[in-house]
Amino acid sequence: MKRSRVVTTALVLALGAGVIAVAPLPGATAKPANRHFRVEASSFKYIPATIRVNAGDHVTIDLVSTDVVHGLYVDGYDVSVTADPGRTASLSFVANRTGMFRLRCSVTCGAMHPFMIGKLHVGRNELLWRALVLTLFAGLAGILLARVREVRQ
Amino acid sequence: MTEPGVVGSERTVGTASGGVGSSGRRRADLPQLPPALPTGNALDLLRWPVLNTVLRSRWPQLLVRVAALAGFLIAVLTGLLGTPVGNHNLGIVLVWIAWWTIMMLVALPFFGRGWCSICPIPMPGEWLQHGALLTPRRNGAGLKKAWPARFKNIWLQNGAFSAVAVCSAVVLTQPRITAVVLLAFLFVAIGTSLVYERRAFCRYLCPVGGFIGLYSQLAPVAIRVKNKATCVAHTEKSCYRGSADGAGCPWMLYPGALAKNTYCGMCMECVRTCPHDNIAVTLRPFGADLRSPAGRRLDEAFKGFIMLGAAMVYSAVMLGPWGDLKMAAYDIGSARWFAYAFAVLVFINGVLPGLFLAAVSAGRALAGSTQTVKRSFIAFSYALVPLGLMAWIAFSLSFVFASISYLWPTMSDPFGVGWNLFGTVHASWQPYLTRSVPTLQALVLVAGFTWSAVTAHRIAGEEHEQRAALLQAAPVIVCCFLFTASLMGLLIA
Amino acid sequence: MRAEWGARLLVVFGTVALAVLTAVAVRVPAGAVELRGRMADDGGWTPGAIVTRVGEPLTLRMTSDDVVHGFAIGQSARPAVDLLPGTWMTTTLIFDRPGKYTYYCTRWCGPNHWRMRGTIEVTGSGARVLADSVPLFLRLKLDLDQAHPSDALPAETPTAARADGLPSPVAPDGGDLRTQSPAQVWRALRKHPVNARLTDQQLWDEVAAVWRAATSRERLAQGGQLYRDNCAACHGETGRGDGVMAKALMAGTAADPPGGEHTGMLGMSGHGTVAPTDFTNGRNMLGASAAFLQGKIIRGGMGTGMPYWGPIFTESQLWALVDHLWTFQFDYESGAGSSGASRTTRDSASKPAMRPH
Repeated sequence: MKRSRVVTTALVLALGAGVIAVAPLPGATAKPANRHFRVEASSFKYIPATIRVNAGDHVTIDLVSTDVVHGLYVDGYDVSVTADPGRTASLSFVANRTGMFRLRCSVTCGAMHPFMIGKLHVGRNELLWRALVLTLFAGLAGILLARVREVRQ
Repeated sequence: MTEPGVVGSERTVGTASGGVGSSGRRRADLPQLPPALPTGNALDLLRWPVLNTVLRSRWPQLLVRVAALAGFLIAVLTGLLGTPVGNHNLGIVLVWIAWWTIMMLVALPFFGRGWCSICPIPMPGEWLQHGALLTPRRNGAGLKKAWPARFKNIWLQNGAFSAVAVCSAVVLTQPRITAVVLLAFLFVAIGTSLVYERRAFCRYLCPVGGFIGLYSQLAPVAIRVKNKATCVAHTEKSCYRGSADGAGCPWMLYPGALAKNTYCGMCMECVRTCPHDNIAVTLRPFGADLRSPAGRRLDEAFKGFIMLGAAMVYSAVMLGPWGDLKMAAYDIGSARWFAYAFAVLVFINGVLPGLFLAAVSAGRALAGSTQTVKRSFIAFSYALVPLGLMAWIAFSLSFVFASISYLWPTMSDPFGVGWNLFGTVHASWQPYLTRSVPTLQALVLVAGFTWSAVTAHRIAGEEHEQRAALLQAAPVIVCCFLFTASLMGLLIA
Repeated sequence: MRAEWGARLLVVFGTVALAVLTAVAVRVPAGAVELRGRMADDGGWTPGAIVTRVGEPLTLRMTSDDVVHGFAIGQSARPAVDLLPGTWMTTTLIFDRPGKYTYYCTRWCGPNHWRMRGTIEVTGSGARVLADSVPLFLRLKLDLDQAHPSDALPAETPTAARADGLPSPVAPDGGDLRTQSPAQVWRALRKHPVNARLTDQQLWDEVAAVWRAATSRERLAQGGQLYRDNCAACHGETGRGDGVMAKALMAGTAADPPGGEHTGMLGMSGHGTVAPTDFTNGRNMLGASAAFLQGKIIRGGMGTGMPYWGPIFTESQLWALVDHLWTFQFDYESGAGSSGASRTTRDSASKPAMRPH
């Protein structure tokens, strides 16, 4: 009998976790706009290092390399562009995925090239919020389950 | 009747797993800890004939180790002779991407110190010590001195890892430096083998061993004796002293008392030497070692903080958008690097333990603990072990999937001279799974926190009854949540 | 016992195999020259000088040891070869004529990119490859370092199309035009009685039309490409002298040096650097002749930081580039209805003949 209590508790908690993970949240309210950014790339950083846009924006990034040939690759969107110094290159895409996406340099530009990173924020970072709430929930759930099992013994 | 594998503090023979310093206070009034799983036939992996043959025979292990040595030497040679461009150098890619991935994502979580059983670094030294490649003989080279008692802990490894951590920006990106570091490991290991007994390098000096040992407490594979009475009755202790069939435990453990994975390198010598076939390779739940309060030490506790802190620092420096921080980390010898190194060392050795100590103290006050502060601090530090491993897995996921494609061109041109062995030398960089990795990282961190919270609660339960245990654990769990949230902030925010 | 010896044999064999593999790997293929490229501050090309003979194939195996570089031979039609870090490219050159050839980097790799050059000395019999016929600025004995402010400035951008329909007594003449500055031509137009009724601006538009007639779309396109590839990094994509390298030029140290280890680049070139010329500055540009500009490009800036392009560009490339520079002053595009009179290009000086492989 007590065993079924553990199982029930576990199932309810799993359901709660599932809700936190996938329950749809109200959509973004900002209207999509055209956004234009000038990003300077030097070894080994981007200026600005962080770009914020709203979901649905049409984003154009002008990549200006200031010392050697650099690239810019956008995680999650799988688009990239390369710019030589003196030749600004443009990258355009529609920001239809929300969250945080790392910008990575796509052209070897020196020792720390693999760590040349910027960030693109599109709309809300739902993953982060869900993860934080799920963390709290899972921690409490774990303890609750442990206590129910202890009682059973 | 003897109880197989009951854990608890007990008098041990010779040097046992983390036995130095384990106090013998008994708590008859506390709830009985659940016994370790019986090592009866069902859970002993050596029951399977194939596994039994493979693990007992020396040839499979030798072949794998020789292959690992070949890979190691190739990494050194290509690091020294190949292109100076880090991401096109096979040495860098093999060590810091391929090997690191396999270690963090597979070897460590599932096999604990399994890597140590095939690690090539101490192998040449062992050959010299044993006087043979296969079955050890008694007339090997070396002074066989005992390791100094004051260094019989992992503080040296804590220091070594911290030193490597503040230099990691250069080590990870410069092929020559990686090669030199690997060669240094090799020569120090060989030198140590010729002066000191057994695998003293592995046990007390290797920076990798320091953290593999701590996290191996989470692994589901463990070497344990089947029947302690058999050990008690056996006077020769071949497992520790060695016999014609093999060397005594190279890790200076007494397998008869082995209760935790921390220092067992899974080398199988004891399995080969035990004349009573009393040693089993057991399969048990993840994290079983954490349930045992015996053998908890301050040096291991600090290892936990160093590793967790290093995961945070690496996430910030390598995966963050702060270019000036990266340059400070790279510019070794400059004023800004000294500031960076100092800040990092203070953070991982001072700030993190300090915060945690505050949480433990708060819990003690709430619950009315009668233990010493030191003992509580050390005990609860083990709750960070799961979170630490998950933090490293989460960090590695992003780094690895973004960089693994460098393996294709480097495999085709290992020495950077223009070969094209597999036709992939001009394959361009392509990060994989960039849409899924953040979600995976989040799930891994959630799992880590949950595991740590449950462990903290269980550790509190070693001293207290239900409600008091919850009060004791609560601030510690809050502290764990702060650490987890920081990692999430660095990795997915 | 046998197993032990078997194991030892295996290890010995493995060691020998690895040693052989390594020896094979580091052996440089006979006859090929290994050319490694690094940023100029870190050594540039290694080797920096190569010797070969007329008619002998010269095989170059090339790589980059740090950032993206490129390889090309100066005053040659062979296309540039991109050198990506860590990868190898092979090319074979054959020279028909003896002389000194320059190879240079074609992808910007820092403020000292233009210093990344080397020479190929080709020995043997035959007529030496000629330097370009004596450049115009030397024949004219122009002082390239003399200031040349224009004494007149247009109120708006001179626009060639607006001059359609206006009579001009000054016939365009290729030879003469290149020795005169726009200000000189304008002054001549202003003085001529026929133009008395035309406004200053209309005369400037005339000048723009004359200048446009002296070039062609193809030359402008070629010049634009050369400018973007070689000049825009310092002089700016809009010609204002505000290119991404300008800051480094002025500061005396490279901005955000890769690797953080470099000392100031101007330790190499000395003192006296100035900001890159602003081609949109009318006072400066309208007082200069095409010959003057060509001379500056050929000779470089004598310590100002401006590279010398003489060994790199052919005569026709130089004139195409100069033609493009005028577009920062003159508007050839707006109100385009009439086609610009196409002029024949000047003779290209003899180039060394090379057969690319």
